[in-house]
Amino acid sequence: MKLQVKLALYNTLTKLAIILFTGLLILLSIEKISYDHVELRLEENERETLRNLNSKEINSKLTNQKPYTDFNILKEEFITIKPVKFEPTVTKNASFTTETRTNESVTQTYRILTHQFNFNNHTYLLEIGVSITSIEELKSIIKRFTLLTLLIALALTLVSDLIFTKFLLAPFYKIIDRKLIKVNDPMNFDYEKVKTTTQDFELLDDSISTLMKKISNLFSLEKQFIANVSHELLTPISIISSRLENILLQEELSEASENKMHASLKTLNRLKSIINSLLLISKVENNQYDKADVVMIAGAIMEIEEELEDRLEEKHLTFNNNIKYIYSIMGNRPLMHTLLFNLINNAIKYNKPKGSITVADELKEDVYILEITDTGAGMDQQQIENAFNRFEKFETEEKESYGLGLAIVKSITAFHGIRVKIDSVKEKGTSIFLIFNRE
Amino acid sequence: MNVLIVEDEKGLALEVDEFLSHEGFTVEHARTKKSASEKIFVNNYDFILLDLGLPDGDGFDLLKMLKGMNNREDAVIILTARGAVDDRVSGLEQGADDYLAKPFSLNELLARMHAITRRKHRLESNDINVKGLKINIQNRTVTYNDERIALTKKEFEIFNYLVLNKNRVISRTNLTEHVWGDVLEINSDSNFVDVHVKNLRKKLSAYIPIDWFETVRSIGYRINI
Repeated sequence: MKLQVKLALYNTLTKLAIILFTGLLILLSIEKISYDHVELRLEENERETLRNLNSKEINSKLTNQKPYTDFNILKEEFITIKPVKFEPTVTKNASFTTETRTNESVTQTYRILTHQFNFNNHTYLLEIGVSITSIEELKSIIKRFTLLTLLIALALTLVSDLIFTKFLLAPFYKIIDRKLIKVNDPMNFDYEKVKTTTQDFELLDDSISTLMKKISNLFSLEKQFIANVSHELLTPISIISSRLENILLQEELSEASENKMHASLKTLNRLKSIINSLLLISKVENNQYDKADVVMIAGAIMEIEEELEDRLEEKHLTFNNNIKYIYSIMGNRPLMHTLLFNLINNAIKYNKPKGSITVADELKEDVYILEITDTGAGMDQQQIENAFNRFEKFETEEKESYGLGLAIVKSITAFHGIRVKIDSVKEKGTSIFLIFNRE
Repeated sequence: MNVLIVEDEKGLALEVDEFLSHEGFTVEHARTKKSASEKIFVNNYDFILLDLGLPDGDGFDLLKMLKGMNNREDAVIILTARGAVDDRVSGLEQGADDYLAKPFSLNELLARMHAITRRKHRLESNDINVKGLKINIQNRTVTYNDERIALTKKEFEIFNYLVLNKNRVISRTNLTEHVWGDVLEINSDSNFVDVHVKNLRKKLSAYIPIDWFETVRSIGYRINI
C-alpha cells in the first residue's frame, strides 16, 4: 500500500474513533440529565399527591376502595392510585421504571414512579408517570445526527487527507521516480534538485545525489582506466607486430626464422583478441554503448548465417532457420550482432561434422524466446554452471579458443536485459534460449 | 607518393616508415599535433596516417583543420588504439578516408592505401593485370580474355588482397582478418580460409596454370609476380 493511502487511512480511522466516542458520550449524558430532571419532577408530584390525599375527589374514590386515575390533556402525565392488599408496613422509598403504557388508546413511553403507602388502614399503590417519548425522540435524532456527521466527516477527511498527503508527498515520489527508478546509468543522472520544503525529502534528495556522484566518479575513473589500458597495451603490441612484419621482408631470412616470426605474429594476434574481448566486456559493463538501434532479430540471424556460410560448409552442417516472427528490439546493433554471432559460432565450433544447427523462436504473452540448438558435444551440469565464467573453455577440435565468447554473451545480454537459459545433454547437443521481455 | 605519419609512439612510426619506404613511399614524421599542423600547412601529402591520441591534443582537430583548407586532396587514414566504434564512425563522418584499429597489419595498411589511391585518382583503367587475368576493383570482377571468372565475394577479396601484397607471404591470420574483419573469437588458426583458397585456385586453374599462386606450408599464401 502506498504511504499516501496509509496516512490518509490512519487519519480517517482516528477521526472516526474520536467522533464515535464523543457521540456516545453526548448520548449517555443527555439520557442521564433528562432522567434526573424527570425523576425530580416525579418526586415533587408524589409529595403533592400525598399532601392532597384528603382532597374530596381522591378521598371519595379511596374510601370506596376504587382506583383513582387522572391524566392531563395530552396524556403526558398520569397519576393512578390503586388499593392493594394491606401490608402493615410498607417501604417508604419510591422506585423508578421506564415502561410503555397505553392510556385511553394513546401509547407512550413513561418514566414511572411507583410508591406504596398506607392511608386510613389501607395500602395503596401510587404510580406517577411522565412521558419521556420526547426524550427518546431526541435521543434518536442525536443518534442519526451523529451518524450523519460521522459519515460526512469520514468522507471529508478521507478526501482532504488524500489531497494533502498527495501534495505533501509529491516531492518524495518525484525523487523516487526521477532519481531512482528512471536512472539506469549514473553517468546521465539528473542532479537538479526536486523542489520541496520538507527537510527530510531534501536530505533524501541530497543523499541520493551524493551517492550517485560517487558512483559516477568511479564509473568515469574505470572508463578512463579502460581507455588507458587499451592504449597502453595495444600500442606496444602494434609496435612489435609491425617490427616482425618488417623483419619478414628481409630477403636473407631463413625459413625457420620466418616460421617463427609468423608464429609470433599469431601469438600477438591472440593477445590482441583477448585484450579486445576483455575491453568489450568492460565497456559493455560500464554502459559505454547506447541502445538507439532497432535490431531485427530475424535479419541479424540471416546476416550471420551468410557470414558463417563457409564455416557451416566446412563442417557440413545443416542450418535450419525456423524463425516465424518478425521481432525487433531497441538495442545496440554491433553488440547484438556480436552476441548472436558468438552463439552461432559456438554452435558451429562445438558441433559434430554433418550435424545441424536450428534457430527457432516463440512469441508468448510477455516474452519473446529465441532458441539456438546444436547437435554438438553438449555440457554437463557443472559445465553449464561455469559456462559464463571468463576463460572457461571446453574441449574443441579448434585449438584457439580463449573462453571469452560466453562471457561476452553474458555481458551483452545483461546490458540489453535479456535472460539466457542453457539446456544441454552431454553428447547430444545444447540449446541456448534468449528470453526477451516484451514491453 | 609522400606520406605523413602523425604518431607519438616513435617505435611504431619507425616501423611504418621502414615498411612504406620499402614500398617506395616518401615518409615524414610528426610526433605532436603542433608539428603535424605545421607540416600539413606547408606540404601536400598523398596520405596522412593520423593517430588520434596525441600528447598535445586530439588528432580529430588536425582532420578538421585539413578539411577546412582549400584544394587539399590528402587522404587521411585514422590509426588509433581506442578502437571504439564511436571513434570510427565520427572519424569517417568528419571526412577520414579509412580507419584502422591498432594493432594493425602493415599489409592491411598497404592494401587500404592502394584502395584509396584507386578510388581517389581513378588510376589508369582500374584494372590490374596478373598473368593475363584482369582484376577490376570497381566491379569486383576477374576476367580472362573478357570472360568473367565466377568468384564469390570472399574469393575475390582473398585474390585481390594477395595480389596487392604480391611477392610477400600473407599469413592465414592476416588474410582472415582482412576478409572477415576483426571478428572477436573467430580464429585464425582454423583452416576455413583454406577452403576458400582451394576453391579460388581451382577456379583460376581452369583458365591458366597457377604455379605463381604458392601455398607456404603452415603459414599462408604468396602470389609471385
